[in-house]
Amino acid sequence: MRKKLIAMVVTGAMIASMAPTFTAHADSHTVAMICDSSISDGGWGMACYNAMMDAAEKCGWETMYSDSIAQSAYYDTIVSYCDLDVDMIYAPGNQYTDAVLQAAEEYPDIAFALLNGGADTPAKAANGNVSSLLPDAQQIGWIAGALAGLMSDTGTIAFIGGMELDTTLAKYKGYGEAAAFVAEENGKSITLLDPVYSGDFSASDKGLEFAKAMMDQGADVFFGDASAVDSGARQAIDEANEAAGEIKVYDIAQPADLLGQNACVIGSQVTDNSVLIELSMKAVEEGKFGGETLYGTLQNGVLSAGELNADVVPEDVQAAYADYIGQMTEGTFLGGSETEAE
Amino acid sequence: MGSFIANLLLATVRMASPLIFLSLAELYSQRAGLVNIGIEGLAAIGSLTGFLISLITGNPLLGVLAGALAGILVNMIFAYATITLCAEQIVYGMAINIFAPALAAFTYRVYFGSGSELVQVELMGTMKSMFGIKSDNFFVNLFLDQTPMVYLAYILVIVTAIYFTRTKSGLNYKAVGEYPKAAATLGINVIGIKYLSCIICGALAGIGGAYLTTCYSKTYVDGNVAGRGFIALAAVIFGRWSSGGVLIACLFFGFCDALQIRLQLVNNTLPYQFFQMIPYVATVVVLAIIGAKKAGPRASGQPYRKEER
Amino acid sequence: MKRNGIGALVIVPLLSIIISFLIGCMIIAALGANPADAMRYLLKGSFGNMRNIGTTLSRATPLIFTTLCACFAYRCGVFNLGGEGQFIIGAIVACYIATKAPFTGFPAIVLCALAGAAGGGLWAAIAGVLKVWRGQNEMIITIMLNYVATLLMGVVYTNWLRDGSVPQTVAVPDETQLASFFGLRATVAFPVAVIAGIVLFYFLFYTSSGFQLRAVGLNMTAAKVNGFNVKRYLLMSFIVSGAIAGLGGALELLGTQLRLINGFAAGYGFDGVAMALIASLHPLAGIIVAIFFAALRVGSTTMQTATGVPTSVSDIIQALVIVFTVAGMAMVKLPEFKNWFARRARKEV
Repeated sequence: MRKKLIAMVVTGAMIASMAPTFTAHADSHTVAMICDSSISDGGWGMACYNAMMDAAEKCGWETMYSDSIAQSAYYDTIVSYCDLDVDMIYAPGNQYTDAVLQAAEEYPDIAFALLNGGADTPAKAANGNVSSLLPDAQQIGWIAGALAGLMSDTGTIAFIGGMELDTTLAKYKGYGEAAAFVAEENGKSITLLDPVYSGDFSASDKGLEFAKAMMDQGADVFFGDASAVDSGARQAIDEANEAAGEIKVYDIAQPADLLGQNACVIGSQVTDNSVLIELSMKAVEEGKFGGETLYGTLQNGVLSAGELNADVVPEDVQAAYADYIGQMTEGTFLGGSETEAE
Repeated sequence: MGSFIANLLLATVRMASPLIFLSLAELYSQRAGLVNIGIEGLAAIGSLTGFLISLITGNPLLGVLAGALAGILVNMIFAYATITLCAEQIVYGMAINIFAPALAAFTYRVYFGSGSELVQVELMGTMKSMFGIKSDNFFVNLFLDQTPMVYLAYILVIVTAIYFTRTKSGLNYKAVGEYPKAAATLGINVIGIKYLSCIICGALAGIGGAYLTTCYSKTYVDGNVAGRGFIALAAVIFGRWSSGGVLIACLFFGFCDALQIRLQLVNNTLPYQFFQMIPYVATVVVLAIIGAKKAGPRASGQPYRKEER
Repeated sequence: MKRNGIGALVIVPLLSIIISFLIGCMIIAALGANPADAMRYLLKGSFGNMRNIGTTLSRATPLIFTTLCACFAYRCGVFNLGGEGQFIIGAIVACYIATKAPFTGFPAIVLCALAGAAGGGLWAAIAGVLKVWRGQNEMIITIMLNYVATLLMGVVYTNWLRDGSVPQTVAVPDETQLASFFGLRATVAFPVAVIAGIVLFYFLFYTSSGFQLRAVGLNMTAAKVNGFNVKRYLLMSFIVSGAIAGLGGALELLGTQLRLINGFAAGYGFDGVAMALIASLHPLAGIIVAIFFAALRVGSTTMQTATGVPTSVSDIIQALVIVFTVAGMAMVKLPEFKNWFARRARKEV
């Protein structure tokens, strides 16, 4: 028996002595992404991951990621990447703000790119090593809302959010005001249901039940930012359309062009986050990273409207929609009264 | 308002179906004297296996069968440890709950690599779509807009009720959970029935998990069982260890869930979490009221040692 | 015979760990990675430098508390599976005090810790009362109460104490946060956990009340015959074990998480039970086991990033350790096994 114990101790010691000194990728740069949804969620997580991959490929960076992490593990995961001496942490979502600020204070040499961070967040970082990548949430809402206003027959539209974040609320508001404005110009009226929040980004069954319940309330156009929850909602919409024998309820996807993923997707609000990430990577390479807010708008090409489903959206509506998008880009939409980014 | 209630009832049936499979799994286990809290883990592995097989073969029914098989395989670990080795049942169920979801998450990760494609499977068709019925009548939806699995769930409830109350074999089975020593002296193969219970339990729990990915949601995410295994445990207690009672419990808990989702749609001052608590609080209250003597099969949770002759 | 019994308590967990790691290495090799490399990075990630050690200890701290909670309860014959719920209730109570009390700093910390422990103890007392006076299975009750506590915490962070747009509570004020060591992530909560373990160890094995509690745990009928007030002992065991978990929850909130948030403490309760069993219900061994599991968790991220082996391999290894240990412990208690062992021993003589 004692022999066995000695053998164990020796094995343990051998493993311990093998521990090398570890420096991560000295010659090239590395970016690490954390995400609370899955990167294969067919929505937010997927688009943000692909954006990072695109930008990394252009800049020749290496990538790492952790997905489906719990809220309580945000900070832990960020810190474990910081300990690996990555150059940049990419956190796609407003909900990471506190964890990012906390880690940025402890790791002054690492750059933190916070997608959807607040405009005031970079100023809160003690070491000036946090940047907000901020796609204009109001414009995002507009892009979806104009299409919803044009396409809704029942006059009731819905929004499913992931968390009650400021950016989500701004999207919801933009969505509602654009839909109401467009509908009014076309002699209709629009009711936007109260927003619902799934509270997490992976419960696709919750999206399914939400969508069914909202269709019961008459909603026929859906928009949302809840990742896999949206996929569940689209499944429910597809089922309802199949039962009815025609596509009567529509979904507007985001943040990538998801036309064709589900039959109910009539168009997408597209956010090309890779442009913003690329800018951050360049800044890191030149040693100039930090403390700024990089806005993404229709004007600088980060935001755009994806292709429309020509089978469902009539040609005159397509033309009208293109016209509205033009107005948004020129800053004359909604009478040009609210063109400033929030 | 009428349509609100109709849709609430439809959602209740939808939410209750996977619970029925999982609760019956727990019922068969407890009736043979084995308290298995590992249903959650068994459903997780069943859910992933069902998803993968129905993705590969394109046949949801094969997915369900594979889910059942995976549930049985994993539950055999529980069976061996608790029946043969006499390990503490609840603790071992807990070990299964840690092990099986980890295995499911790992398998998914390895199978799909780090691809970021959304993987969706075709779901099992409902009777309504199979027969091409167009009506949107409430009763048509309630009785025909359901997958064959839902009918199976209710048939199993009836079969279980008959088995445990009307057949000799069912009474023998129950005897194992109540008085194993007496049952053994009557020539009943106690160990054999306990293993059989684990096979049935694993299969039903695996089916309940596979239901989620072959009949309910087209996508798989880690943690999609979402506590249903424990609600099933609650349903068995709330349903007082009878198959009819379990059905009522499942429908009641399904109703709470459906209601809770709808409450989130209206700005309600009462937090929805209180409705999610109902199954758990109800179980504690039921246990507090009925007292220990009536709480389930008498030999439930106790190891059975042949040697103590 | 007695020596063999104690030997088994050490050998079974060690053997389980070795087998689990061997299986883990086979999986890693099957994935095309080098197992030795993976293990090296696992070790490096958890103990490679002071910072990593700090992270490991900080991650171990809550696990130590739930492990001690389970150790104590099981020693006293009470199967408290509610460590998680009691931990969460302790954190909720501490969160209210830390953010609402008119004072901050040391007095607030002490009050949070005491009130957290009281909260955990009271939550456990619910199960205790049902066990003692209604004769109910405490395992089922405590599992159900875990869910109730988790959902209650959900109400607190999405509703009652919510701060701004993200569903989470306000952070604990700076002055009320626990001090950390040398800029590492481990806080004073870690030594508190270790001291709690030592106190428990001393109490259980070197005091007469501890002896009486263990006697109740070992044989309730005999204890009753000997005139012990078994009901009182059982209820007290619930309350004390719940208080340990509640204290852990309060310190985790003040030291590491700083706010209540989705996923707080998820799984800690069952982890604690498993670790207590692997430690053969010995409080000091429990501390070591908790650190071991924390190291596996912390190191797995480094392993994933350096070798591409997914972190879920680490989860599987952890699960296998539990699966093998619990089965192994049951096996060595089987009469057949004992007879076989005794026969062999005789032959050797």
